[in-house]
Amino acid sequence: MFRSLEWKLAAALVLATGTQASAQEVRLFSFEGYSEPEWVEPFTEATGCEVSVAYTGSVDEMFAKMVGSDGADYDLVSIDTSIVERYLDQGLIIPFDMSQIPNTSNLLPSFSSVAEVMSGGETYGVPIAWGSLGLIYDKEAFPDGVDSWEALWSPENAGHVLALDDANNNVTNAAIVLGLEDPFNLSDADFDAVKMKLIEQKQYLISYYAGFEEGVNMWDSSEATLMFSMGEFQTVELANRGYDVVYSIPDEGGIGWLDTWALSKGVEDSECAHQWVNHYLDGETGPAMTAKNGYGNTTNESPGLDYADKLVWLRPVEDFDRRVSVWNEVKAAQ
Amino acid sequence: MTGYAPGAIVLWAICALFILIPLASFLAYSFLPVVDNAIVYEPTLDNFANLFSNSSYRTTFLRTMLLAFEVSVFNFVLGYATAYFIWRRPPAWRNVLVIALAIPLLMSYIIKIYAMRGVLGTNGLLNSALLAFGLADEPVSALLFNLTAVRITLSVVLLPFMVLPICVALERITPQVLQAAADLGASEIQTFRWVILPLSLPGAIVGAMFTFVLASGDFLAPELVGGIEGFTFGRLVFSQFGLAFNWPLGAALSVLLLVVALAVISVARRLSNPRWQT
Repeated sequence: MFRSLEWKLAAALVLATGTQASAQEVRLFSFEGYSEPEWVEPFTEATGCEVSVAYTGSVDEMFAKMVGSDGADYDLVSIDTSIVERYLDQGLIIPFDMSQIPNTSNLLPSFSSVAEVMSGGETYGVPIAWGSLGLIYDKEAFPDGVDSWEALWSPENAGHVLALDDANNNVTNAAIVLGLEDPFNLSDADFDAVKMKLIEQKQYLISYYAGFEEGVNMWDSSEATLMFSMGEFQTVELANRGYDVVYSIPDEGGIGWLDTWALSKGVEDSECAHQWVNHYLDGETGPAMTAKNGYGNTTNESPGLDYADKLVWLRPVEDFDRRVSVWNEVKAAQ
Repeated sequence: MTGYAPGAIVLWAICALFILIPLASFLAYSFLPVVDNAIVYEPTLDNFANLFSNSSYRTTFLRTMLLAFEVSVFNFVLGYATAYFIWRRPPAWRNVLVIALAIPLLMSYIIKIYAMRGVLGTNGLLNSALLAFGLADEPVSALLFNLTAVRITLSVVLLPFMVLPICVALERITPQVLQAAADLGASEIQTFRWVILPLSLPGAIVGAMFTFVLASGDFLAPELVGGIEGFTFGRLVFSQFGLAFNWPLGAALSVLLLVVALAVISVARRLSNPRWQT
């Protein structure tokens, strides 16, 4: 049951023990699915740089850890384009030396000049993957499919629903479900409506989860048939465990994200970090990632990901701290 | 004896370095504000005002105290029964049982909680057993992802902290005392009620104190098995440090937890040693 988790732990251990001996290393802090053996091993062979990975459970956790350590613990972070500005404001990331990343010429046109990752003429993020926060449902329980997020608010499904534990994504998604005009710029009344909506959902939930793997584990040990997903990768993991599930973007739309590698202020081996980013855009890593984990990549076409036009792409929000505190109030509510 | 032995000075230094200074820094942090994700060094009482005026903090705190109390009471009974059972075995058996009970303390805490999830889940050990023995027609989902799961998990995980002090207290009761009670014509029940229980109660109170303090600050079990009901004070503290980057508010919340823990410890200390009562 923990096959893939064990695999990853073993891989991380092997990689981690390797780093003790070698001075060359890149330390990644990212979501799951960006550092699989299929492209880590060729990278280490080609460059001599070892790869160590720390996984995060949520956007909030990642930011808090980066602020807490002032970036010293990691070389590269996987952050989505909407949050680059927040990292910049805190001075947590520094610009790339683009001359060390010639493979950016492989980027597809729609990813080659993303405004959110630029500041003062410098590049602070290199797009590597895109995807969505869709809805996963069990095919057997819903033979006719699920075409609305309201299924996660339906008394019929009480006790069968999982949702992720992440402030910004929950607030944004609830705003999308409510059909609010701008889910990234909420008024006081909008905030109240979103908070009520999220509190209303609690009675139908089994639990919140933090992290891809944790969501899949909870699905495995409960009667879940619906999930507000962290991304395509979870469908792959659930299928590996024998569940017949479908990933869908409901009619209201869904959150779309574009993740980038960003260079931490506390980077130690800058050369290895640049080489890793360059390796990611070599035209082979992207398709391998799409094939294995279901994320869209930024260098080649991504077969199967045909819902990009239904996505609401993440943008910077009006007040991130307020969203975190609203989310805490939702979790504490009875 | 006057003056300090060198050993005592070293011990005080270790205590100061690893316990007192970190705690003092916590206390100091709790008086600082956060502006734009940065901690500002201008003392204020805002965090405490926030702490006492926010009703969701208050209800979460009370709910968590109740949870810790329930776990303590449950483990008091279960732990006493277990310790008593161990104590009545022959000495060779006793050691084996005590060691068996202590082994889980060497395991990673998070592994134990995951193991409990494996036991309580719909596809878990307990449900398989219920189905196999015909005690249920279909898997019971009410065992996991609620407060009951947190109660069960904390009780199981914290049981050694209850049993071990009681075992120590029972071990201290000399056979002569029990023989004297028998010579004076006390029945087994009377001996238990008037001799064994009073002599072992201090151990049980210490165990209950351990259980309460550990349960009230825990954040992993509620997160991993508690579902949406499992939002406890420990998780509130964690979210301030780990998610919201509001260390000062987290520190203020922790100070409240620390005050409660110290109060419980001092009450337990009085109750468990009658000679200190004045």
